[in-house]
Amino acid sequence: MKSPIITLQDISKSFGNVYALDGVSLQVKAGEVVGLIGDNGAGKSTLIKILAGVYTPDSGAIRLKDQPVTDWNASRSRQSGIETVFQDRALVVQQTIVRNIFMGRETAGSSASLLSRLGFIDHKSQYAEAERLMRDIGFTSEVFTPDSIVGTLSGGERQGVAIARALYFDAELIILDEPTTALSLTETEKVFSFVRNVKASGRSVVFIGHNIYHVFGIADRFVVLDRGKVVLECTKEDYQTPEELIGFMQQVAQSEGGTPSGSSEE
Amino acid sequence: MRKTLGIFSLLVAIFLLTGLLESNFFSKRSYFFDGGNIYNMAKWTGLFGILAIGVCFVIVTGGIDLSIGSLIGLTGALFPLLLVNKGTPVWAGFAIVLLLAASVGLVHGLLITKLRLQPFIVTLCGLFIYRGMARYMTGEMNQGFGNSFSGLRQLVKFKVFGFVPMPFAILVITGIIAAVFLNLTIYGRYLLALGRNESAARYSGINTDRMVITAYIICSLLAGVGGILFALEQNSVQPSTFGNFYELYAIAGAVLGGCSLRGGEGAVVGVVCGAAMLEVIRNAVIFLDVKTESEFTVIGFVILIGVTVDELVKRFSDRQGAIRRQKEVVDSP
Repeated sequence: MKSPIITLQDISKSFGNVYALDGVSLQVKAGEVVGLIGDNGAGKSTLIKILAGVYTPDSGAIRLKDQPVTDWNASRSRQSGIETVFQDRALVVQQTIVRNIFMGRETAGSSASLLSRLGFIDHKSQYAEAERLMRDIGFTSEVFTPDSIVGTLSGGERQGVAIARALYFDAELIILDEPTTALSLTETEKVFSFVRNVKASGRSVVFIGHNIYHVFGIADRFVVLDRGKVVLECTKEDYQTPEELIGFMQQVAQSEGGTPSGSSEE
Repeated sequence: MRKTLGIFSLLVAIFLLTGLLESNFFSKRSYFFDGGNIYNMAKWTGLFGILAIGVCFVIVTGGIDLSIGSLIGLTGALFPLLLVNKGTPVWAGFAIVLLLAASVGLVHGLLITKLRLQPFIVTLCGLFIYRGMARYMTGEMNQGFGNSFSGLRQLVKFKVFGFVPMPFAILVITGIIAAVFLNLTIYGRYLLALGRNESAARYSGINTDRMVITAYIICSLLAGVGGILFALEQNSVQPSTFGNFYELYAIAGAVLGGCSLRGGEGAVVGVVCGAAMLEVIRNAVIFLDVKTESEFTVIGFVILIGVTVDELVKRFSDRQGAIRRQKEVVDSP
């Protein structure tokens, strides 16, 4: 059985009188792709911000590789190998691919030479490293190089840069915040291909989306959120088509309490 | 790089054209191409270029500094006041003035990052405050060095290698340091990244506040250096007018040199060319017998044409990029 990377137990978070999350539990194991589904306001963003350490939960427990964690924050989350690719905040589109991949950690991994300590950039080694990362996730083209401007790439390719960036940070778990929103079918397939390559390297992905067809196409396991609660956890064996899952979610939306009869949470 | 080359080519073109028109295509003696005039243009380019490099750092972060002229007034008046009236040693005079300038930048940076005030408003208030301080501190009395401090005044009078004006040499050294900082170090990359997408930079772990504060300190510090140099050069500092509009020349030079007021874009070589271009245009107005009253109008139009052409070229190249991209998609198997 695969070991869990991170486990959230009974997490609650409120903002004033609004309960964004109410007793949510989630576990992500090594090498799996978890699809996090839910409508706007379901609590997806709050949950990933807790995973990323941006928000601190009001109550509940966080376990990292089965060890309890008390001081959970953004820096701890990153040090633990969790990288989040936020929808609009991931890239500086006017800059090159290599600059984006190394943004914020330019000196990491470079030699401890005097120039490096003074903050000088070793462009040559960064370029080679960027090429390797792009190759690893199958992100190659005859048109662009690591020195190409991100703004000239398609939406799917930009996600590729963001994923390559997360890999450079040695992420064990990559959280992708709605990476296929507003992408065409071809571009979505490109993102899926990047995610599959990440999975093949033994890393895990939490794939957030409200387009169930997209999430269904890539995830091994699904977690459905509704009004701050997990209303379903299932695999493709439980729901074999996206339509079945959509049917369940419609039932949830129509039910008064937010949880239809017969759901796995009850 | 292409943009900087374009600015440099434009500078050379305006320079040559002015000289050719002024001398009626060398049919009479050219005063514009005269060594003395070129020396003067280089000297003023040096003085304004230092300010333009300073404001370039701030513009790269997406900010603006409108207080440069008043800060030049304050530091330019304070420096001779300390040295001549108070008998402060030269080294202490430098230290006090530059420390004051850096502190001004620090306060600007803190107000903009920690209180989230608009750079425009913060530095506009600075424009009034520092001008007022300069006038109050000097009692509206003209400041200068008279015939003393001739050694110190070599900072602007000395000719490096016998022909390069000292302010221009200072500009070259400042420019090299600034270009290395912006292009080859991680801190330069941080500045460019945060100017383009502050959230992305912050989410990447960059301490964006610290970088913005650094940019404002550099800008004010270079304005302080400018204040000292202008005071030494002119040797007569009228606190109510000294440095008036200099912030606009600095900003215009930076923008002409390729800095985008949207942030995230700027090259030091381009900014130096931009500052030189302003100086050449000012000279062109004089040498081509254009009425001197229309100097501002000419400068305004040249900047407007420059940024318009830049925007059109950018759009054209973006469109070409999109077409190439589309072609690749179509051609791909």
